[in-house]
Amino acid sequence: MRWLPRAWLGLIYLLLYVPIAVLVVFSFNDSKSGYTWGGLSLRWYESLFRNNAMVEAMWNSLWLALSAATVSTLIGALTALALHRYRFRGKRLLNGMLFVVMMSPEIVLAISLLALFLLVGLQLGYVSLLLAHVTFCLPFVVITVMARLSGFDDRLPEAARDLGASDFTMTRTVLIPVIMPALLAGWLLGFTLSLDDVVVSTFVSGPTYEILPLRIYSMVRVGLKPEVNALGTLLLVFSLVMLSLSQWITTRSKS
Amino acid sequence: MSSLRQQPFRAAVLTLVWGWLLFLVLAPNLLVVGASTLTRDPANFLSLPLNLDAYRQLFDPLYLDVFLHSLTMAATTTVICLLIGYPFAWALSRVRKQRQMLLIFLLIVPFWTNSLVRTYALKLLLATNGLINSALLGLGWIDEPLRMLYTEGAVIVGLVYLLLPFMILPLYSVFEDLRGELLMASHDLGAGRLPTFVHVVVPLTLPGVLAGVMLVLLPAMGLFFVPDILGGSRNLLVGNVIKNQFLDARNWPFGAAASIVLTLTMAVLMLAHRLSKRHIGEEDSP
Amino acid sequence: MKKLVLAGLLLAGLAGCSSDEPKVLNLYNWSEYMPQEVLDRFEKETGIQVVYTTYDSNEAMYAKLKLLDDSAAYDLAVPSTYYVSKMRKEGLLMKLDRSKIEGFDNLDPELTNLDVDPDNQYSVPYLWGTTGLAVDTADIDQPVTAWADLWNPEFKGKVMLTNDMREVFHVGLRVLGYSGNSTNPDEIEAAYEKLKALMPSVRTFNSDAPRVPYLEGETDVGMIWNGEAVMAQDTMPSLQYVYPKEGIIAWLDSFVIPKNARNPEAAYKFISFVLRPEISALISEDIGYATPNLKARDLLDPAVANNRASYPNEEDMKNAEFQLDIGDDALQVYAKYWEKLKSGE
Repeated sequence: MRWLPRAWLGLIYLLLYVPIAVLVVFSFNDSKSGYTWGGLSLRWYESLFRNNAMVEAMWNSLWLALSAATVSTLIGALTALALHRYRFRGKRLLNGMLFVVMMSPEIVLAISLLALFLLVGLQLGYVSLLLAHVTFCLPFVVITVMARLSGFDDRLPEAARDLGASDFTMTRTVLIPVIMPALLAGWLLGFTLSLDDVVVSTFVSGPTYEILPLRIYSMVRVGLKPEVNALGTLLLVFSLVMLSLSQWITTRSKS
Repeated sequence: MSSLRQQPFRAAVLTLVWGWLLFLVLAPNLLVVGASTLTRDPANFLSLPLNLDAYRQLFDPLYLDVFLHSLTMAATTTVICLLIGYPFAWALSRVRKQRQMLLIFLLIVPFWTNSLVRTYALKLLLATNGLINSALLGLGWIDEPLRMLYTEGAVIVGLVYLLLPFMILPLYSVFEDLRGELLMASHDLGAGRLPTFVHVVVPLTLPGVLAGVMLVLLPAMGLFFVPDILGGSRNLLVGNVIKNQFLDARNWPFGAAASIVLTLTMAVLMLAHRLSKRHIGEEDSP
Repeated sequence: MKKLVLAGLLLAGLAGCSSDEPKVLNLYNWSEYMPQEVLDRFEKETGIQVVYTTYDSNEAMYAKLKLLDDSAAYDLAVPSTYYVSKMRKEGLLMKLDRSKIEGFDNLDPELTNLDVDPDNQYSVPYLWGTTGLAVDTADIDQPVTAWADLWNPEFKGKVMLTNDMREVFHVGLRVLGYSGNSTNPDEIEAAYEKLKALMPSVRTFNSDAPRVPYLEGETDVGMIWNGEAVMAQDTMPSLQYVYPKEGIIAWLDSFVIPKNARNPEAAYKFISFVLRPEISALISEDIGYATPNLKARDLLDPAVANNRASYPNEEDMKNAEFQLDIGDDALQVYAKYWEKLKSGE
């Protein structure tokens, strides 16, 4: 019976990876019809890059993810630092709001932001997407940074302050290097969350800024294009790289 | 204590942080509550008077049916995730440390892949001309292809596939915390395996279970693209209803009311989670 | 000398700036309703980049346009007749400057100057088509010749309907002998009850690409748009397009320019481009719908021109009903029952 747990692990891993394997294999399928095998070919990758709208959507998504990750890391880090170091009223409210964002189903977040943007008359496009993405990435950055801060000796920043450093200088020279791995991990997480987002983006995007998930969504709904497999494989490889990077950073930082 | 030199930086930071959260979290959620009490307006989406019509519409037997159906599907998804995830997390926590890192990495990789694409990949498997049917027909196990796509089952498979890691990770976390000593102590006191399980393991892992349930049940009601791709625009989730009300039918008050139902469900689950932690004596973290 | 050249360049630069024609056309269209080749050729010829987004129903298009109303991001949309009328009446459309459109006279006079838009002040017809029965003769043995045949219990779990409120109710109404353009709430309710009985047979609704469930083998019989059927027959000759006894549904989709469009000039250019006979012919051949462009019809490949699915003859059009504007009140009634239908088990 000893083998039972191992077998269960193996089975579930297998089930998790079968669809992904199918995707990758079929991305090299030469046949147009999608379900029958026609030989190896790179044609779908070629066709993907020849599609200008697709390439544009890819760039847009990358840029959005980059900016959203960066802004949310910035704000998230400051939030975590504030929660950790400063004493101020309303900490519970702040925590509560972060928690709400993290736990709320994405669709609730999506419509609340749509309502806000409509009320203030904000045009739906890059800016609305950026604001939305930063907001849902924020709690994850905060948690990552706070986890790092909680294991940290507070005497160092105190010492720095006693030596006359201003709050800003102290933060910059002492705290930032300490939480850097958490910042990077948080950045990568934010990047991936932004790149993957469908639900929120469906509601707050406009045609002036086409992003990849929405393109994929219409392709998948039409259902005929084997290019989706190629695109999926590319995204998988990309995620693998990002994830490996994140792991490497966290393991390095533990030393 | 804040000295004068500290003020500018601290003030700037707090302003930024509070500003962002108040403007982009508190205000929108309040707007949704407000929108649910307004009236539908064909021209401008919302208008006065204030009323509770939207909530009354929620209790319309038709929508009640949809919600219950969606809840059933989400609950089924959650139960399946639990049945798969609980032994999985336990087995994972028993593996050698170095291997564990690798296994967790392998677990997260699919999770970091685009969810639309993964859902689409399931279509390749479940379709009538798809791989599973081709394999089964080829092996001679069935005569006619199984109609798996565009069914409730397909939606549940999709939801389980996307949400399983969310169940496993919190469970793994509590299993890791479960000290071997506690189990040994239970044995020493003469308890057999089953009682140990029921009276020691289950209560201690309960917070993890509830966290997992929270992380699966709510999204399972909101991931509208899964029924869109695998369910044939039938077998709708609450998320589909909300999306439909906002983007097609333009009945914003009703959509807002439905979304508040989801939020309340979340609140209930959060409360249950808190209570379970208190029950086993863990302190609330500030 | 250098100074003159510099000055000249500066002036030229400023002149370029002042005309400031943004080189982007935001086209909002039904999915699978415009060959990529047309967009590529347009881009090549004019240098205007086409940003192409799609929708699968008039309701979705309308909701999105309303949502984006002031921030006006779409330059062209392609609503069906009754939505042209609705949007026109609600002041959502820009009045067309016909002097900027070339080739309007190529269009079939029978399809211009309709009640929904007298004198075509707001719309230019793009394609017309029909919604009829699709039958996969490889899997269905019995003859299917009428909408009523869909209710055959043997088809349980095999039927596909388009995800279109008016079309689905059109079928329900015709089966009961009522007009598909009915505004009578009792008739609509009766159609709802009839359709409710069909629901166990319906495997899926699809308006993104109605041919796909048939091609995938998920459904064998049901509704389909004629162009989709023609496209499907390329790879699946067993799929037949049948004109039902009760009468086919006929519709017309037209180009409109939303009121606050950012680049109406590009929109006019695009419309004129499509109205060229060779382009209209190309579109009709590629996606199987009928072009209202008479000059284009002369250029059509005979295989396409004689394809009864794309270009029905008089016999086919017997009992046909064109989709008319039924007014907002009636639309609300339909919407209510449509939601009930889709949400019910």
